[in-house]
Amino acid sequence: MDTEKDFAAKIKSAIEPARGVGDRELRNSFATRLRLVAARPDVVPIEFNGERVEVRRGGTLLGAAIKNGVRLMHVCGARTLCATCRVVVESGEDNLTPMRGTEKFSLRWHLSVSPRTRLACQARVNGPVEVESVFPLCGELPNG
Amino acid sequence: MKSLDAQTSETDLVARLKAGDEDAAHEFFDRYAARIRRFIANSLGAAADEADDILQETFIALADALPFFRGDSSLFTFACAIAHRKVLSLIRTNARRARLMRGASMAEHAGLRDTGADREFNRALAELRPEHREVLLLKYVEEIGVSEIALISGISEHAVESRLARARKALRKALKEE
Repeated sequence: MDTEKDFAAKIKSAIEPARGVGDRELRNSFATRLRLVAARPDVVPIEFNGERVEVRRGGTLLGAAIKNGVRLMHVCGARTLCATCRVVVESGEDNLTPMRGTEKFSLRWHLSVSPRTRLACQARVNGPVEVESVFPLCGELPNG
Repeated sequence: MKSLDAQTSETDLVARLKAGDEDAAHEFFDRYAARIRRFIANSLGAAADEADDILQETFIALADALPFFRGDSSLFTFACAIAHRKVLSLIRTNARRARLMRGASMAEHAGLRDTGADREFNRALAELRPEHREVLLLKYVEEIGVSEIALISGISEHAVESRLARARKALRKALKEE
Protein backbone atom coordinates (compact mmCIF):
# COMPACT_ATOMS: atom_id res chain seq x y z
CA MET A 1 0.00 0.00 0.00
CA ASP A 2 2.55 2.54 -1.17
CA THR A 3 0.61 5.24 -2.94
CA GLU A 4 -2.90 6.66 -2.84
CA LYS A 5 -3.49 5.06 -6.26
CA ASP A 6 -2.55 1.57 -4.99
CA PHE A 7 -4.72 2.13 -1.95
CA ALA A 8 -7.73 3.05 -4.11
CA ALA A 9 -7.12 0.06 -6.39
CA LYS A 10 -7.01 -2.34 -3.44
CA ILE A 11 -10.23 -0.99 -1.98
CA LYS A 12 -11.91 -1.21 -5.38
CA SER A 13 -10.87 -4.82 -5.77
CA ALA A 14 -12.06 -5.65 -2.25
CA ILE A 15 -15.56 -4.29 -2.80
CA GLU A 16 -17.87 -6.37 -4.94
CA PRO A 17 -19.09 -4.62 -8.09
CA ALA A 18 -22.62 -3.21 -7.89
CA ARG A 19 -24.95 -5.94 -9.11
CA GLY A 20 -28.25 -5.10 -10.73
CA VAL A 21 -31.24 -4.94 -8.39
CA GLY A 22 -33.83 -7.25 -9.92
CA ASP A 23 -36.69 -6.19 -7.68
CA ARG A 24 -39.38 -5.40 -10.27
CA GLU A 25 -41.92 -4.73 -7.54
CA LEU A 26 -39.76 -2.00 -5.97
CA ARG A 27 -39.01 -0.55 -9.41
CA ASN A 28 -42.72 -0.27 -10.15
CA SER A 29 -43.73 0.95 -6.69
CA PHE A 30 -41.09 3.71 -6.94
CA ALA A 31 -42.64 4.84 -10.23
CA THR A 32 -46.15 4.72 -8.75
CA ARG A 33 -45.08 6.68 -5.67
CA LEU A 34 -43.41 9.32 -7.80
CA ARG A 35 -46.56 9.71 -9.88
CA LEU A 36 -48.67 10.12 -6.72
CA VAL A 37 -46.26 12.67 -5.24
CA ALA A 38 -46.21 14.64 -8.50
CA ALA A 39 -50.02 14.70 -8.56
CA ARG A 40 -50.24 16.28 -5.09
CA PRO A 41 -50.27 20.06 -4.90
CA ASP A 42 -47.08 21.57 -3.47
CA VAL A 43 -48.84 24.29 -1.52
CA VAL A 44 -51.36 23.55 1.21
CA PRO A 45 -53.54 25.91 3.25
CA ILE A 46 -53.25 25.96 7.05
CA GLU A 47 -54.87 28.11 9.73
CA PHE A 48 -52.97 29.49 12.73
CA ASN A 49 -55.32 30.90 15.38
CA GLY A 50 -57.89 31.53 12.66
CA GLU A 51 -55.41 33.20 10.31
CA ARG A 52 -55.20 31.40 6.97
CA VAL A 53 -51.80 31.03 5.30
CA GLU A 54 -50.47 28.94 2.43
CA VAL A 55 -47.38 26.84 3.04
CA ARG A 56 -45.11 24.45 1.22
CA ARG A 57 -45.96 20.78 1.70
CA GLY A 58 -43.41 18.94 3.83
CA GLY A 59 -42.29 21.93 5.91
CA THR A 60 -42.82 22.18 9.67
CA LEU A 61 -45.70 24.13 11.20
CA LEU A 62 -43.17 26.40 12.90
CA GLY A 63 -41.32 27.10 9.65
CA ALA A 64 -44.64 27.86 7.98
CA ALA A 65 -45.59 30.22 10.82
CA ILE A 66 -42.31 32.13 10.73
CA LYS A 67 -42.35 32.50 6.93
CA ASN A 68 -45.88 33.89 7.08
CA GLY A 69 -45.25 36.35 9.89
CA VAL A 70 -47.09 34.37 12.59
CA ARG A 71 -44.83 34.92 15.59
CA LEU A 72 -45.10 31.55 17.27
CA MET A 73 -42.88 31.24 20.34
CA HIS A 74 -39.92 28.81 20.00
CA VAL A 75 -37.51 29.46 22.85
CA CYS A 76 -35.21 26.47 22.30
CA GLY A 77 -34.83 27.03 18.55
CA ALA A 78 -36.77 23.98 17.36
CA ARG A 79 -34.77 21.44 19.38
CA THR A 80 -37.78 19.82 21.10
CA LEU A 81 -36.60 21.08 24.49
CA CYS A 82 -38.97 23.87 25.56
CA ALA A 83 -42.32 22.94 23.97
CA THR A 84 -43.22 26.65 23.82
CA CYS A 85 -44.17 26.17 20.17
CA ARG A 86 -46.84 23.63 21.04
CA VAL A 87 -50.16 23.90 19.30
CA VAL A 88 -53.52 22.19 19.59
CA VAL A 89 -54.69 20.69 16.32
CA GLU A 90 -58.32 21.66 15.73
CA SER A 91 -58.69 19.74 12.47
CA GLY A 92 -56.61 17.82 9.94
CA GLU A 93 -54.54 15.78 12.41
CA ASP A 94 -54.01 13.14 9.75
CA ASN A 95 -52.37 15.72 7.53
CA LEU A 96 -49.46 16.09 9.95
CA THR A 97 -46.53 13.67 10.07
CA PRO A 98 -46.73 11.10 12.91
CA MET A 99 -45.23 12.02 16.27
CA ARG A 100 -41.68 10.78 16.80
CA GLY A 101 -40.02 9.71 20.03
CA THR A 102 -38.31 13.03 20.76
CA GLU A 103 -41.58 14.94 20.43
CA LYS A 104 -43.45 12.50 22.69
CA PHE A 105 -40.64 12.70 25.23
CA SER A 106 -40.72 16.49 25.23
CA LEU A 107 -44.51 16.71 25.59
CA ARG A 108 -44.55 14.28 28.52
CA TRP A 109 -43.02 16.91 30.81
CA HIS A 110 -45.48 19.70 30.20
CA LEU A 111 -48.86 20.62 31.56
CA SER A 112 -51.82 21.55 29.38
CA VAL A 113 -51.09 18.75 26.95
CA SER A 114 -54.00 17.05 25.23
CA PRO A 115 -53.92 14.16 22.77
CA ARG A 116 -54.27 16.77 20.02
CA THR A 117 -51.19 18.73 21.13
CA ARG A 118 -48.23 18.81 18.79
CA LEU A 119 -44.89 20.59 18.71
CA ALA A 120 -44.98 23.00 15.76
CA CYS A 121 -41.23 22.59 15.30
CA GLN A 122 -41.63 18.84 14.66
CA ALA A 123 -44.98 18.35 12.94
CA ARG A 124 -44.68 18.53 9.16
CA VAL A 125 -47.59 19.50 6.96
CA ASN A 126 -48.95 17.14 4.31
CA GLY A 127 -52.36 18.71 3.84
CA PRO A 128 -54.83 21.31 5.15
CA VAL A 129 -54.78 21.71 8.92
CA GLU A 130 -56.11 24.12 11.59
CA VAL A 131 -54.12 24.79 14.76
CA GLU A 132 -54.32 27.04 17.83
CA SER A 133 -51.14 28.02 19.67
CA VAL A 134 -51.05 27.16 23.38
CA PHE A 135 -48.84 30.14 24.27
CA PRO A 136 -49.65 33.69 23.16
CA LEU A 137 -47.91 34.78 19.95
CA CYS A 138 -44.79 36.89 20.56
CA GLY A 139 -46.45 40.13 19.45
CA GLU A 140 -49.25 39.59 21.94
CA LEU A 141 -46.94 39.55 24.99
CA PRO A 142 -46.45 42.75 27.04
CA ASN A 143 -42.78 42.93 25.97
CA GLY A 144 -43.24 41.13 22.68
CA MET B 1 -15.78 15.96 -13.12
CA LYS B 2 -19.03 15.32 -14.88
CA SER B 3 -19.35 16.28 -18.51
CA LEU B 4 -21.82 18.93 -19.60
CA ASP B 5 -23.91 16.26 -21.37
CA ALA B 6 -24.11 14.15 -18.23
CA GLN B 7 -25.17 17.20 -16.21
CA THR B 8 -27.81 18.11 -18.77
CA SER B 9 -29.17 14.59 -18.86
CA GLU B 10 -29.33 14.51 -15.06
CA THR B 11 -31.14 17.88 -14.98
CA ASP B 12 -33.57 16.52 -17.54
CA LEU B 13 -34.00 13.31 -15.53
CA VAL B 14 -34.73 15.30 -12.36
CA ALA B 15 -37.36 17.37 -14.17
CA ARG B 16 -39.03 14.22 -15.50
CA LEU B 17 -38.89 12.53 -12.09
CA LYS B 18 -40.50 15.56 -10.47
CA ALA B 19 -43.25 15.41 -13.06
CA GLY B 20 -43.90 11.77 -12.09
CA ASP B 21 -42.76 10.28 -15.40
CA GLU B 22 -42.78 6.47 -15.20
CA ASP B 23 -39.97 5.94 -17.74
CA ALA B 24 -37.78 8.38 -15.81
CA ALA B 25 -38.46 6.44 -12.59
CA HIS B 26 -37.41 3.20 -14.28
CA GLU B 27 -34.36 4.87 -15.79
CA PHE B 28 -33.33 6.23 -12.39
CA PHE B 29 -33.87 2.84 -10.76
CA ASP B 30 -31.85 0.98 -13.41
CA ARG B 31 -29.06 3.53 -13.28
CA TYR B 32 -28.64 3.92 -9.52
CA ALA B 33 -30.38 1.16 -7.55
CA ALA B 34 -27.43 -1.24 -7.66
CA ARG B 35 -24.95 1.41 -6.50
CA ILE B 36 -27.29 2.60 -3.75
CA ARG B 37 -27.79 -0.99 -2.59
CA ARG B 38 -24.03 -1.55 -2.48
CA PHE B 39 -23.61 1.67 -0.49
CA ILE B 40 -26.29 0.49 1.98
CA ALA B 41 -24.83 -3.00 2.30
CA ASN B 42 -21.38 -1.60 3.03
CA SER B 43 -22.64 1.02 5.47
CA LEU B 44 -24.90 -1.44 7.23
CA GLY B 45 -22.66 -4.46 7.25
CA ALA B 46 -25.77 -6.54 7.90
CA ALA B 47 -27.48 -9.42 6.14
CA ALA B 48 -28.53 -8.85 2.55
CA ASP B 49 -32.25 -8.91 3.27
CA GLU B 50 -31.82 -6.00 5.69
CA ALA B 51 -30.03 -4.06 2.97
CA ASP B 52 -33.00 -4.78 0.72
CA ASP B 53 -35.42 -3.48 3.36
CA ILE B 54 -33.41 -0.27 3.68
CA LEU B 55 -33.23 0.02 -0.11
CA GLN B 56 -37.01 -0.19 -0.26
CA GLU B 57 -37.45 2.45 2.46
CA THR B 58 -34.88 4.65 0.73
CA PHE B 59 -36.72 4.59 -2.60
CA ILE B 60 -40.06 5.39 -0.98
CA ALA B 61 -38.51 8.27 0.99
CA LEU B 62 -36.72 9.41 -2.14
CA ALA B 63 -39.99 9.63 -4.07
CA ASP B 64 -41.45 11.76 -1.25
CA ALA B 65 -38.35 13.97 -1.01
CA LEU B 66 -37.75 14.56 -4.73
CA PRO B 67 -40.00 17.64 -4.95
CA PHE B 68 -37.60 19.30 -2.49
CA PHE B 69 -34.44 18.37 -4.41
CA ARG B 70 -32.81 21.68 -5.40
CA GLY B 71 -29.96 20.29 -7.45
CA ASP B 72 -27.26 21.29 -4.93
CA SER B 73 -25.68 17.86 -5.36
CA SER B 74 -25.97 14.95 -7.77
CA LEU B 75 -29.05 12.73 -7.61
CA PHE B 76 -26.89 9.83 -6.44
CA THR B 77 -25.58 11.92 -3.53
CA PHE B 78 -29.12 12.93 -2.64
CA ALA B 79 -30.24 9.29 -2.63
CA CYS B 80 -27.19 8.20 -0.62
CA ALA B 81 -27.89 10.91 1.98
CA ILE B 82 -31.38 9.46 2.46
CA ALA B 83 -29.99 5.91 2.57
CA HIS B 84 -27.37 7.03 5.11
CA ARG B 85 -30.09 8.37 7.43
CA LYS B 86 -32.11 5.17 7.04
CA VAL B 87 -29.06 3.09 7.93
CA LEU B 88 -28.31 5.28 10.97
CA SER B 89 -31.91 5.03 12.09
CA LEU B 90 -31.80 1.25 11.89
CA ILE B 91 -28.56 1.11 13.83
CA ARG B 92 -29.82 3.45 16.52
CA THR B 93 -33.14 1.71 17.00
CA ASN B 94 -31.54 -1.69 17.23
CA ALA B 95 -28.41 -1.84 19.32
CA ARG B 96 -28.16 -5.56 18.83
CA ARG B 97 -27.69 -5.02 15.12
CA ALA B 98 -24.97 -2.51 15.90
CA ARG B 99 -23.08 -5.21 17.76
CA LEU B 100 -23.57 -7.66 14.90
CA MET B 101 -22.06 -5.11 12.56
CA ARG B 102 -18.69 -5.60 14.17
CA GLY B 103 -18.94 -9.39 14.07
CA ALA B 104 -16.24 -11.53 12.59
CA SER B 105 -18.41 -12.70 9.72
CA MET B 106 -18.58 -9.23 8.20
CA ALA B 107 -17.09 -10.23 4.87
CA GLU B 108 -19.94 -12.53 3.95
CA HIS B 109 -22.51 -9.82 4.67
CA ALA B 110 -20.99 -6.51 3.76
CA GLY B 111 -20.62 -6.93 0.02
CA LEU B 112 -16.91 -7.58 0.38
CA ARG B 113 -15.11 -10.19 -1.62
CA ASP B 114 -13.79 -13.01 0.52
CA THR B 115 -11.75 -14.49 -2.28
CA GLY B 116 -8.85 -13.24 -4.33
CA ALA B 117 -5.20 -12.57 -3.82
CA ASP B 118 -5.45 -10.12 -0.95
CA ARG B 119 -7.54 -11.81 1.71
CA GLU B 120 -5.87 -9.95 4.58
CA PHE B 121 -6.73 -6.62 3.02
CA ASN B 122 -10.35 -7.65 2.55
CA ARG B 123 -10.61 -8.91 6.12
CA ALA B 124 -9.05 -5.72 7.49
CA LEU B 125 -11.52 -3.65 5.46
CA ALA B 126 -14.43 -5.74 6.70
CA GLU B 127 -13.41 -5.22 10.30
CA LEU B 128 -13.27 -1.44 10.07
CA ARG B 129 -15.93 0.64 11.80
CA PRO B 130 -18.95 1.11 9.50
CA GLU B 131 -18.47 4.88 9.15
CA HIS B 132 -14.83 4.34 8.16
CA ARG B 133 -15.74 1.69 5.61
CA GLU B 134 -18.52 3.92 4.28
CA VAL B 135 -16.24 6.91 3.74
CA LEU B 136 -13.60 4.75 2.01
CA LEU B 137 -16.24 3.27 -0.29
CA LEU B 138 -17.57 6.69 -1.25
CA LYS B 139 -14.11 8.14 -1.83
CA TYR B 140 -12.35 5.30 -3.64
CA VAL B 141 -15.08 3.16 -5.19
CA GLU B 142 -17.81 5.67 -5.98
CA GLU B 143 -15.12 8.35 -6.51
CA ILE B 144 -17.24 11.06 -4.93
CA GLY B 145 -15.67 14.35 -3.85
CA VAL B 146 -15.25 15.40 -0.23
CA SER B 147 -18.00 18.02 -0.44
CA GLU B 148 -20.57 15.45 -1.61
CA ILE B 149 -19.45 12.92 1.00
CA ALA B 150 -20.04 15.67 3.57
CA LEU B 151 -23.60 16.07 2.29
CA ILE B 152 -24.25 12.33 2.49
CA SER B 153 -22.80 11.88 5.96
CA GLY B 154 -24.21 15.11 7.36
CA ILE B 155 -20.83 16.32 8.57
CA SER B 156 -18.45 19.11 7.52
CA GLU B 157 -15.88 18.71 4.76
CA HIS B 158 -13.15 19.05 7.36
CA ALA B 159 -14.71 16.22 9.37
CA VAL B 160 -14.84 14.07 6.21
CA GLU B 161 -11.13 14.61 5.64
CA SER B 162 -10.39 13.71 9.26
CA ARG B 163 -12.57 10.63 9.00
CA LEU B 164 -10.83 9.57 5.80
CA ALA B 165 -7.43 9.96 7.45
CA ARG B 166 -8.60 7.94 10.46
CA ALA B 167 -10.07 5.25 8.21
CA ARG B 168 -6.82 4.91 6.25
CA LYS B 169 -4.84 4.80 9.48
CA ALA B 170 -7.14 2.15 10.97
CA LEU B 171 -6.86 0.05 7.82
CA ARG B 172 -3.06 0.30 7.81
CA LYS B 173 -2.94 -0.60 11.50
CA ALA B 174 -5.21 -3.61 10.96
CA LEU B 175 -2.98 -4.79 8.10
CA LYS B 176 0.17 -4.49 10.22
CA GLU B 177 -1.38 -6.53 13.00
CA GLU B 178 -2.20 -9.44 10.68
